Amino acid sequence: MARAAATAQPAAATARLSSLVNDSFARAIFYQLLTAAILVGGIWYLISNTIANMSQRGMAAGFDFLDYTAGFNIVFTLIPYREGDSYFRVFQVGIANTLLVAVIGIVLATLIGLVMGLARLSTNWLIRTMARWYVEILRNTPLLLQIIAWYFGFFNLLPVPRQSFDWGGAFFLNNRGFYFPAPVPQDGFGWTGVALGLAIVASVAIHRWARRRLEATGQSFPSVLSGVGLIVLLPTATFLATGSPLEWDIPVLRGFNFRGGLSVPPTFCALIVALAIYTSCFIAEIVRAGIQSVSHGQTEAARALGVKPSRIMRFVILPQALRVIIPPLISQYLNLTKNSSLAIAIGFPDLVSVWMNTSLNQSGRAIPIVAMTMAFYCAVSLSVSLLMNLYNRRVQITER
Amino acid sequence: MPDEARLAAADQPLVFRPKPERPPPTSSIGVLGWMRANLFSSVSNALLTLLGAYIAIVFFTAIINWALVDAVWEASNRRECLDRVGRAGACWPGVIAWIPNLLYGLYPKDQVWRINIAFLILVAWALPLWLPRVRSKVGIGLSAVLLYPFLASYFFHGGAKDLLWTALIALGMAAFAGVWLTTLSERATGLPFGAAIARLTGAPEDDEAATRTRARIAYAVLYLVAVGVTTQWSLSEVSTRYWGGLFLTLVISGFGITFSLPAGVMLALGRRSQMPFISLCSTAFIELFRSVPLITILFMFNTMLPLFLPVGVEVNRLVRAIVAVCLFAAAYMAEIVRGGLQAIPRGQYEAASAVGLGFWQSTALVIMPQALKIMIPTIVGNFIGLFKDTTLVSIIGLFDLLSMARAVGEDTTWLGLFLEPFFFITMIYFVFCFLMSQYSLNLERRLGAGQRR
Repeated sequence: MARAAATAQPAAATARLSSLVNDSFARAIFYQLLTAAILVGGIWYLISNTIANMSQRGMAAGFDFLDYTAGFNIVFTLIPYREGDSYFRVFQVGIANTLLVAVIGIVLATLIGLVMGLARLSTNWLIRTMARWYVEILRNTPLLLQIIAWYFGFFNLLPVPRQSFDWGGAFFLNNRGFYFPAPVPQDGFGWTGVALGLAIVASVAIHRWARRRLEATGQSFPSVLSGVGLIVLLPTATFLATGSPLEWDIPVLRGFNFRGGLSVPPTFCALIVALAIYTSCFIAEIVRAGIQSVSHGQTEAARALGVKPSRIMRFVILPQALRVIIPPLISQYLNLTKNSSLAIAIGFPDLVSVWMNTSLNQSGRAIPIVAMTMAFYCAVSLSVSLLMNLYNRRVQITER
Repeated sequence: MPDEARLAAADQPLVFRPKPERPPPTSSIGVLGWMRANLFSSVSNALLTLLGAYIAIVFFTAIINWALVDAVWEASNRRECLDRVGRAGACWPGVIAWIPNLLYGLYPKDQVWRINIAFLILVAWALPLWLPRVRSKVGIGLSAVLLYPFLASYFFHGGAKDLLWTALIALGMAAFAGVWLTTLSERATGLPFGAAIARLTGAPEDDEAATRTRARIAYAVLYLVAVGVTTQWSLSEVSTRYWGGLFLTLVISGFGITFSLPAGVMLALGRRSQMPFISLCSTAFIELFRSVPLITILFMFNTMLPLFLPVGVEVNRLVRAIVAVCLFAAAYMAEIVRGGLQAIPRGQYEAASAVGLGFWQSTALVIMPQALKIMIPTIVGNFIGLFKDTTLVSIIGLFDLLSMARAVGEDTTWLGLFLEPFFFITMIYFVFCFLMSQYSLNLERRLGAGQRR
């Protein structure tokens, strides 16, 4: 190209242009500038329209409204809230409620999903088939439909408080919600907590020591059993030694409703039940696929070496299956957290319901409210995916 | 004589004759054997079987008693149902009376035929994809995805049409006619429609240029006829406010599915691009839309889209929902496509550039066909998810299937009738999603035949 330019002077300009057009680096710069220009132009257009619209409708921008009094009531709050509190407090209440639903939902969904996933692998034809149809039916119907059906079709139709379902005189279920005893710690209960902390630290230490000894000498130590024993026995012993400093505030029927204890509204129950059942189907499939992903040769090889069946599961199958199971499992947990926003359909006050709906309609500050809601969900999901990447790096098979 | 003895032995060779096989024990074959192996292989298994059977029987008898045995099939209002069976049996007359609304929303009853015809056209459009001896399946599929929406939106919405709109509707109509003409001519002669016309009008078989010209003329005539028909054809306008029920659910998910695949491919290519700015923008878009719930995106578009557009421009509520669903679906699809692209070994890219293919050629001809094949199950899974997620538009006030089912219980004649319509639409959703997933399994098995040993 250089020689051609030197010999034929008139063609030099076109040659330089064509070499520029065919140069992938130059083209990349051009495309990126083009994208940036379109993007900047588009954003500028949107912003100018927004400013024009807002001034025309007399809408204010900015975050100053966070200090204003919200002035509406919220039927269920995990953290204390009064009608006179600020909008920022409403935001916190919404986050706390969303996280409460997410945590309880995740625990229940994992338990049900694990059972159903193992049932799908059962050698028993009936159990296997029932588990399969459980999964097929529930994951092929919309979650929103399930939430609404649980609420309108079950929790809303429960009997009035006077005819509640009663379990042991302490747990009650009726159309006002689910009532259960509240623990009231007395003086000295802190020692039980300290004991629990000590037991956890000690059992982790024992587990590490046992693992190192196993790797060094091949001698095993029942570290799981001793850990569980420690965590159960030490706090119990402390609890009894300090004179059982915990009392229960049991809900009692007074007039038309229950007093005392703790309670959750029927919307919460419907949301949790629907979320847990729906997500459990996906978790069941993940568990099944993970266990099936470990080739049968691994089991046979371990058997040929004379490893006990219980240890084959624990030391051969599970570590390999978990590598396949954990990433999609975590993404299901994230899905459950995001799906908890469907609470708005039945009126449970989660973040989207109290913040993006009630607060937005009342204060009219669309942009900051939408931005804060999205920022919360983005923060949750980005921090979880960060943890996920760290985990993946740890368990990745080291190849040559 | 040793030799003679050996000869004599050869006359009667000593052959080992096993006794005939004895039949397996009766407890290990047939129904009994199957039950022993699969239901009662151990004590714990037998207990599990009994427990499972108990649960299944209780559950099924409860459902069947409620839905069929104790159900009321004819009544004029809910009170009558409750007087006859109380809550023990289902009250189906309410659902039956509402079926037109559940399917079509508040669409005018005398115009419902338009929806039916448009869906029949879609079925007819896609039918050649399953017919043998049809070669232009890629073209037929693409035309259905790209051009059918124009024809369908005129059927659904109707009303006045300007020049551009007329041209697009005519394009859809011509494409539909072209698809069937090509199908018929390929089944009859093995040639696509244009080439067959060229052959009929006397173009020589080896003259490619003449064949192509005549084929183009044939298509142009077809298009002009379609334009003529379109200008003469008019349907009354049905505002999107009256759209609803299963029809609306299918429209929204159809838009989402149609838009998400090409947009997802572009976003995935953008994310994997060597150009840092493009990759950054794609990644930011994908991560933002994937990390927030769909309902927040729907709310955002519902409240913010009117602010984003020039003062005075009103956006239809349905359009807001469709835009939100499309962008959301595109972000999810992008991650699926990226996964598929990552599974293609580097050698494929290198081989494509070694034979002189550029980026777009190697992507379209070498990489994507392989990647799409791997992705089919996940893509269908995503479509199922999208179909289920369209229920969320009921929260922002559109009358989709779920809203319509809720409306049954708010109708004064059928006040409080919730379970029956929910049961009915659950079956609709289940049938759609289950068929989709089974079809994807079937497709996966057929396409993966080459990989199996």
